[in-house]
Amino acid sequence: MGTYVYGIIRASHSPLREDVDGIGDPPRPVRVLRQGELAAIVSDAPEELRPKRRDLLAHQRVLDEAGAGGVVLPMRFGSASPDDDTVITVLAERAGDFLERLRALDGTAEYNIKANHDEEAVLRLIVADHDDIRSLAEATQEAGGGTQEQKIRLGEMIAVAVQAREATDAELLHQALEPMAEAVSAGPQSTGWLANLSFLVDRGSAEQFLAAVDEFRQEHPHLELRVNGPLPPYSFVGTPSSQQAEGGTAEAFGAAAAQPNR
Amino acid sequence: MTVATQQGGGGGSSGLYDVLELILDRGLVIDAFVRVSLVGIEILKIDIRIVVASVDTYLRFAEACNRLDLEAGPRKPAGLTELTGQLTESGARGKTKGALSGAAETISDAFQQARDGGREHQGDDRAARRRGE
Repeated sequence: MGTYVYGIIRASHSPLREDVDGIGDPPRPVRVLRQGELAAIVSDAPEELRPKRRDLLAHQRVLDEAGAGGVVLPMRFGSASPDDDTVITVLAERAGDFLERLRALDGTAEYNIKANHDEEAVLRLIVADHDDIRSLAEATQEAGGGTQEQKIRLGEMIAVAVQAREATDAELLHQALEPMAEAVSAGPQSTGWLANLSFLVDRGSAEQFLAAVDEFRQEHPHLELRVNGPLPPYSFVGTPSSQQAEGGTAEAFGAAAAQPNR
Repeated sequence: MTVATQQGGGGGSSGLYDVLELILDRGLVIDAFVRVSLVGIEILKIDIRIVVASVDTYLRFAEACNRLDLEAGPRKPAGLTELTGQLTESGARGKTKGALSGAAETISDAFQQARDGGREHQGDDRAARRRGE
């Protein structure tokens, strides 16, 4: 059905391990197509391509393996070319762009950080910070839980405060780690996190970056952080759709906090 | 506290869920290549904030707040870790769980239903998160 493309590398990239499985069932063997200074990591495409866990993992694993041997431009999952020749043609036609991007990303890795509130901790912070919420909470407790209307009113005030706090905390995280990174990209929103940020980090300073993450964690115990990396630089390959999203987190979350009843 | 640094990713399944949206929504797109239509992916884009601002959520927040020990809590943010520890021990955590993360789990569930073969992983992932907290 065609040629599945994982990523683009330099022709001089270290050879890939031979036993890396591609997508499909059974897994298609991974090959490298060369054109001038560039090469594409490919395999035959399966008849039917769907975002199954096995194939997502295979895509990620191939890129991970490639990334261990040098800089790679990761393709978005699900990119298939009609045939090998079309891949070669694309490499030739866009050689300048790809080489420039490979140079820019040389020696870097992406670290993705997702943040969430620790529920009790943030409720405590909010009750401590908002006199009106504390008074109402105390009154509600004294009344043995309060009426449905009181609960809804209290809950709504808390929800508004939590959302404001989400926006503040997303911005705090962004500001704390931005100086440690070459670039920052806001991840796709609305997947259940108050912040989803990708940082492009020089591999040489990855340790300092992770130390800064730990420091932030200790300073803000009401936040739970999940760190993933080093990853192929998915968020920094210069695809227009990802560039649009860059730097949009604070504004977007600010807007969400300003319209909690939306 | 949830601490998950997956060095290298390595294809570890606990890391896959966390980077799913990067694999599906970031990365290089080239016009000459067909991007296969991926049924179910748009579910990732549901705005969970709509879920958060619901009466149901308000009630859960209020009930979680009603379970807080207000005498111990106010004006003592420095004692957070200690207080959270006490709450966890007293078992209140299990009940209040959900006021905030409920929406996230809704999305997880929706996404889980939208793909095949993800069930086992999803369960592992959430279990790992609970254990890690």
